Amino acid sequence: MNHLGGVPGPAPARTGEIAFDRRATGLTGIVVKGFLLSLITFSIYRFWYITNLRRFFWSRTVVAGSPAEYLGTGKELFLGFLVALAILVPIYIALFVVGLLSPALAALAAPISFIGLFVLGQYALFRGRRYRASRTRWRGIRLGQDGSGFAYAGLASLWWLGTIVSLGLVFPFMRAALERYRIDHTLIGQSRMRSTATGRSILLPWMMFYIVGLLPIVLSILALLAATGFDIPSDLLIQDPATEKSNLIFNPAYDGTPLAHYASAVGIAASVSIPLALLLIPYYRARETRAFLNAAHLGAARLTSSLKARQLYFPYLVYMLAVIGFIIVLGIIFVLLVPLIAKDGANPGIQAFVIVSTVLLYLGAILGTNVLYVRIITVRLWHAVATTMQIENLPALEAVLASTRAPASGLNEGLADALDVGGALEIGF
Amino acid sequence: MEAITTAGTFFDGISARPRPVTLRLTFRLEIAGEDIARDWSLLDLRASEAARPLMRVTHAQGPESVEFADDPFAEALKARCPDLNRTESEGGLTRLVLWSVAAGVSVLLTAIYGVPAASGLIAPLVPQAIEAQLGRSVDGQIVSLLDDPPLCNEAAARAVLDRLTARLAEGMALPETPQVSVRRHKIANALALPGGRVILLSDIIAKARNGDELAGILAHEFGHVAARDPMRSVITAGGTSFLLSLVLGDLTGSTVLVTVGQAAISAGYSRDAERAADAFAVAAVKRAGGDGAALAAILERITDADDEKPDAISFLRSHPFTAERAARIRSLAGEKPAGSGILSDAEWQSLQGICPKPVKPEGTKPDNGKTTTPPTKKL
Repeated sequence: MNHLGGVPGPAPARTGEIAFDRRATGLTGIVVKGFLLSLITFSIYRFWYITNLRRFFWSRTVVAGSPAEYLGTGKELFLGFLVALAILVPIYIALFVVGLLSPALAALAAPISFIGLFVLGQYALFRGRRYRASRTRWRGIRLGQDGSGFAYAGLASLWWLGTIVSLGLVFPFMRAALERYRIDHTLIGQSRMRSTATGRSILLPWMMFYIVGLLPIVLSILALLAATGFDIPSDLLIQDPATEKSNLIFNPAYDGTPLAHYASAVGIAASVSIPLALLLIPYYRARETRAFLNAAHLGAARLTSSLKARQLYFPYLVYMLAVIGFIIVLGIIFVLLVPLIAKDGANPGIQAFVIVSTVLLYLGAILGTNVLYVRIITVRLWHAVATTMQIENLPALEAVLASTRAPASGLNEGLADALDVGGALEIGF
Repeated sequence: MEAITTAGTFFDGISARPRPVTLRLTFRLEIAGEDIARDWSLLDLRASEAARPLMRVTHAQGPESVEFADDPFAEALKARCPDLNRTESEGGLTRLVLWSVAAGVSVLLTAIYGVPAASGLIAPLVPQAIEAQLGRSVDGQIVSLLDDPPLCNEAAARAVLDRLTARLAEGMALPETPQVSVRRHKIANALALPGGRVILLSDIIAKARNGDELAGILAHEFGHVAARDPMRSVITAGGTSFLLSLVLGDLTGSTVLVTVGQAAISAGYSRDAERAADAFAVAAVKRAGGDGAALAAILERITDADDEKPDAISFLRSHPFTAERAARIRSLAGEKPAGSGILSDAEWQSLQGICPKPVKPEGTKPDNGKTTTPPTKKL
C-alpha cells in the first residue's frame, strides 16, 4: 500500500527526494479567504492568513516521504506584532518630533532613521527566520536556530557597507558570508547544519550584471571620449531653455555632428542594457540558490540542487501572461459598464450600481492578481526549488536526534512584520 | 468493530529514523513493528495537516507519530476518532474578525473625532519656543511644496508692511508680533503657520485694490494666529495620519511626515474657525481705522477668479461658504468709515512694489498651467 516511495523498505534509500504537488488543491480558498478577511479586519487577519499559507506550503512539501509541519499560530504572530509596535511607535514618534522641531537635526534624522531601521530590519530578518525554524517539524523533530540577531545585524551591516564602498563587487561574498552564518546556526533537532557557501561560486553570475548592465555604457562613453579626443565640450548638455526647471537637454548646437551619434549611442546603450540587467535577476537568484543549497550539509548528509534558471523565468512569464489576460477580461467587463455611465447620470439607482460595481471590480482586480501571484509565482517557484533538491546520504539525516531546545517565541517575527521585511514564504532554506 | 490494517511509518520523535510498522485500527490504534508495540486510545489521536493520500497522526501526549498513505484507513480513522482534528487553541474566527473590526473602527473614529478635539486642548499648552521651531520647519516644508518661490523684500515696501503689521497687531492679544513674509507666487493666498508666521503670496497683493483689503487679509491670518489654529491643525494632521497609518499597517511611515506638510496647507480650518478669524479681522481693521468690509470684497474677488479655473475643486466646494462669510463680514463691519483707510495712497503704491519684477525675463513664464496646486483654502 505504500505507493509513495518515501516509506523505506528494508534497504533504506540512499537519496531522499523532495516532492511538492504543484496543483496545490485548496490554496485558492486560503488566498481568497485571507484577502477578504484582511480587507474587513483592517488587515489584522493577515497574521492568520500568513499562518494558513505556511501551514499549507509546509505540509505539501514532502521530504523523503514525510511532509513537513508548520506549528506556528496566527496569535503568536499577532502578539509579536503588538510587542514590536510597542518598541517601534515611541521610536517613530521621537524621530517625527525631532524632525519637526529641529530643522538642523531633521536633515540628519532621515539618514539616521534609515540606517537604524536597516540594522533593525536585518535583526528582524534573522529573528523571523528563527521563529519559522522553531515552528517547523519534520518526522517529529523540530528545527531550530541559535546565534545572535544582533551579531547577524552587525555582520550584515558591515558587509553592506563594504558592498557599497566596493561598488557592489563584494556583494556575492556578502551573500555567502550571511548564508554561512544562517546555515551554521540552523539546527535540525540537536544536529547543526553546516554551509560551505563561497562568494567565488556565484561571482560569475554576479559579474553578468556588470557585463550586461555596465559594459555597453562604459564602451559607448569611451567611444564618445575617443571621438572628442578626450575633451568633451562642457556645453554638451545645457539647461533646457523651454522650461524653468534645471532640466538638462542635449545642446542643439551639436546636432548633426559625429558627436551627436556617439552621445545618442550612450543614451541607447543605457536604455537597453539597464532593463536587460534587470532581466538577469531570476538568473542570478537561481544560480545563487543552487550554489548555496549545494553547499549545505548536515554531517554526512548533503543537499544537492539542480535548479535551472529557466525554472525561475517560466513562472514570471506565465504570471505576466495571466495578468494580461485577466486585465483584458476586466477591461471587457468595464466596457460593458461604460454605456450605463454614459447613458443617464441622473438616475440614482444606476449611479449607485455603477459606483458599487466599480468598487467591486477594483477589489476583484486586486484579489485576482493576488490569487494569480500565489498560484503561479509562489507555487511554481516553491515547486522548482523543492523538486530540484535532493538529500544525499539520507541515513545520516535519519540518525539525527531530536532536540530538547525550547521553541523560540513568536515575538521574534513581530518585528519583521512591523518593519515589513521578509515575506510570508521565503524560497530556499 | 471490524479491524482494518495498513502499513505505515512510526517516528519516535527522538530520531528522524523511519520505522516501518503495521497499523491496526479497532476501537484502539495498535502499532506493531520491530521493537515497537503501541496501543493508543483513539481519544488521544490528533491529525496534523497533510495532503492526501498522506496522513499523519500524532499522539496528544508525547512526541510519537505515525504516517501512512491509505485513504480508506484514513476515512475509518476519522470516523472513529472524535478529537482527531481538535487543536488546543481553537481560535474562534468570528470573534477575531469582530474584534479586529471593532478595533479598526475605534481607531478610525479616534482619528476623525478624537484627534481634532485633543489637539484643541493640546495646542494652547505647547511652549512658545517649541512652536517657533515647529513654525520654522513647517515654513521650510511649505516653501519647498510651493516650488521655492523667491522671498520679496523690497526695502520701502517692507517698511510699510511692517508698520501695517504693527498697527494691526497692536490691539490684539497676540503673544508676539507675527512675522509676515511675502513670496512671489501665482496663487492668491495667505497662510498662517505655527509660531506666529504668516506667508503672503504676491498674487494676493496684486489682487487687492487698496490697503484695507490687504489689511483685512492680514488681520484674518492674525486671527488664526491668535486662536492658535495653525498649531492645532498641525497636531491634528500629525495625529490623524499617524493613526491612519497604524490602521493601514504602514508603520515604516514616512507618509506621516509628508501628510503633515500637505495637510497643514491644504486642509484649511473648520468653518467656525474661519468665522472667528473673520470677526477678529473686521474688529482689528476697524480699530486701525480701516474699512472692515474690504475683506469681504477681496474674498469674493479671489473666489470668483478661482472659480474660472476648472481645477480649483476645493474652491468650488467652498464657494457658497464664501458668500455667507462675505455677508457676515459686511454686517459686522457696518458703515464705511470716512478717510483714506489704513494706508495712504503713497504707502499703498509703495507696498504694491514689494515684489519687484525680476531682471531675468521670468515674466514670460509659460502660462500653460504649472502643476503647483497645493495651497487651496486657507483664507
